Amino acid sequence: MMKHKKKIDLFEIINDTILILIAVICVYPFLYEVFIAISDGRYLAAGQVTFFPKGTNLEVFKYVLNNPKLNITLGMRNSFLYTLFGTIVGVVTTYITAYALSRPQVKSRFLIMGLFTLTWVFEAGLIPTYIILSKLGYVDNPLVMIIPGAINTQYLIICKTYLEGLPYELEDAAMVDGANQFQVLTNVYLPISKSILATIGTFYAVGIWNQYLTPQIYLKKSEYKVIQQILRTLVLSSSTDGETMQTININGFALNQYNMKAAAIVIAMAPIILVYPFVQKYFKSGILIGSVKG
Amino acid sequence: MSAKKNKTAVQAVPKKPLGERIKKDIKKNYLLYIMLIPGLLVLVLFKFGPVGAMVIAFQKFSAFKGISGSPWVGLDQFRRIVKDPYMLKLVKNTVILAVLSVVVVFPVPIIFSLFLNEVRNRRIRSTVQSASFLPYFISSAVMVSILYTLVSPSYGLVNKIIEFFGGKSIFFMAEPGWFRPLYIILQIWQTFGYSTVIYIAAMMAIDTEQYEAADMDGANRWQKMWYITLPSISSSVIVMLIISIGNIFSVDLDRILLMYNSSVYETADVIQSYVYRIAFDSAGFPDYSYGTAVNMLKSVIAFILVIIANKLAAKYSETRLF
Repeated sequence: MMKHKKKIDLFEIINDTILILIAVICVYPFLYEVFIAISDGRYLAAGQVTFFPKGTNLEVFKYVLNNPKLNITLGMRNSFLYTLFGTIVGVVTTYITAYALSRPQVKSRFLIMGLFTLTWVFEAGLIPTYIILSKLGYVDNPLVMIIPGAINTQYLIICKTYLEGLPYELEDAAMVDGANQFQVLTNVYLPISKSILATIGTFYAVGIWNQYLTPQIYLKKSEYKVIQQILRTLVLSSSTDGETMQTININGFALNQYNMKAAAIVIAMAPIILVYPFVQKYFKSGILIGSVKG
Repeated sequence: MSAKKNKTAVQAVPKKPLGERIKKDIKKNYLLYIMLIPGLLVLVLFKFGPVGAMVIAFQKFSAFKGISGSPWVGLDQFRRIVKDPYMLKLVKNTVILAVLSVVVVFPVPIIFSLFLNEVRNRRIRSTVQSASFLPYFISSAVMVSILYTLVSPSYGLVNKIIEFFGGKSIFFMAEPGWFRPLYIILQIWQTFGYSTVIYIAAMMAIDTEQYEAADMDGANRWQKMWYITLPSISSSVIVMLIISIGNIFSVDLDRILLMYNSSVYETADVIQSYVYRIAFDSAGFPDYSYGTAVNMLKSVIAFILVIIANKLAAKYSETRLF
């Protein structure tokens, strides 16, 4: 009996250790960028920085944020604005549409939902979308980040499923009291939809923040660019290194292009990582309600 | 008496003509229809508009003339596709990446969930799950940038480790042979936490009595994992597998566009990246019609696959994808 118990413990110790190791491997690359950013550039250039930082200094973040040539502050500001307004527009439009489509009085609801699903499964592709959106004036127009994506069919389904699960008697009771459909929505259903609104809100926000392809196609003017585009220019294309990221010395520390690239990566991922602990429960519930087409 | 009453009630509501009924319905529920307006605008402008614009696949489209002014060429664009020798390479690259992501990526979260489910300490359990789920929310631009610095030949950690063991530093991002492994590693890193959420939720729903009964029969841990846990999540696994097979042609275009460069086109160029280059990254006039035709073929095949996947999912479990 004792022996049996000991065996189980051994399995658990090994299992826990391996899983913790996997978790560390998942998260370490994000930390690695922080370590590279704050290491002394001289050690980096000499190839002496491996797993942990060497000769730390935090000046690099101040420097890259204040250097207008790198456009990081501009990109962050644009990304914040697009994400804020895009999320508001997305959540409001999706919720109202889901509400109307969840009411049995709306006889055309199956047809409309079917059409949403059809266009979701059958993708038109980048070029036809570009032709339509350019006709509608979305090229070099920041609204491209806010309006065309206002309804994500997957989130519409999640939201509609949730609303259909609420008892219909709620509406009946309010209607007897003389409320109209709009009042039923705002006074009865909205207050009990907070969790679903938070779920689709976080999904929209992360989706907009992370977009690279749409801004890359539509937002060519440098003043509209988002942080993901800026990141690509700074880190992935090597042509601009020499001019924009010259090595400098601050308080006896060297800052070179490696520090600055890593700092740009850290700044671009920081908002998501900072809010992640608070919103991950919404992500999880969203996935479990609508585990559908990837 | 009651039968008679019923009969008169039925007679009292004669069916009115359709137009009149629609009018009455709209009048009664006009606020609901007003709420539908923004959604319908999005549907028509941004979802059906692009599908309609796909007709340029049958034209020789010019941006100056527009869809209505461009000449129709029938199936010429599709004939060009058949004759294009590069197409074979694109299809091959696309299918290889897709097959790799099913065969290599798909089992990872299942194995991970099975072992995570054995962790008794709640804090370790939730911390490990949170850590594995985090990369799913990080943008491709950040993920590829991190990869880029990790494998950098001048200061990256990976090459430092290779050099430590006496190897020669590798310029990973410029080697065609390394593109697929790196793409798959990124995909595992970015997505396995997502599937784990689904599998762990399915495991939480397993009745603990099953394990207790197995304990009484003297089953060991591996037997319980193999004979109770795994079969209990089989319907989730089947649905996830069907979804991933249905999505076999949806590569992560962001990731590819950020990762690839002309030196790795040989393995990295796929249908979607080729279409992107034709339209948005080419010198001279972009060939919109040809790009649309290529993408249309891909969309039709993908559409059929998703529909089959949905049918299969409905058949093998109670789940439907849409």
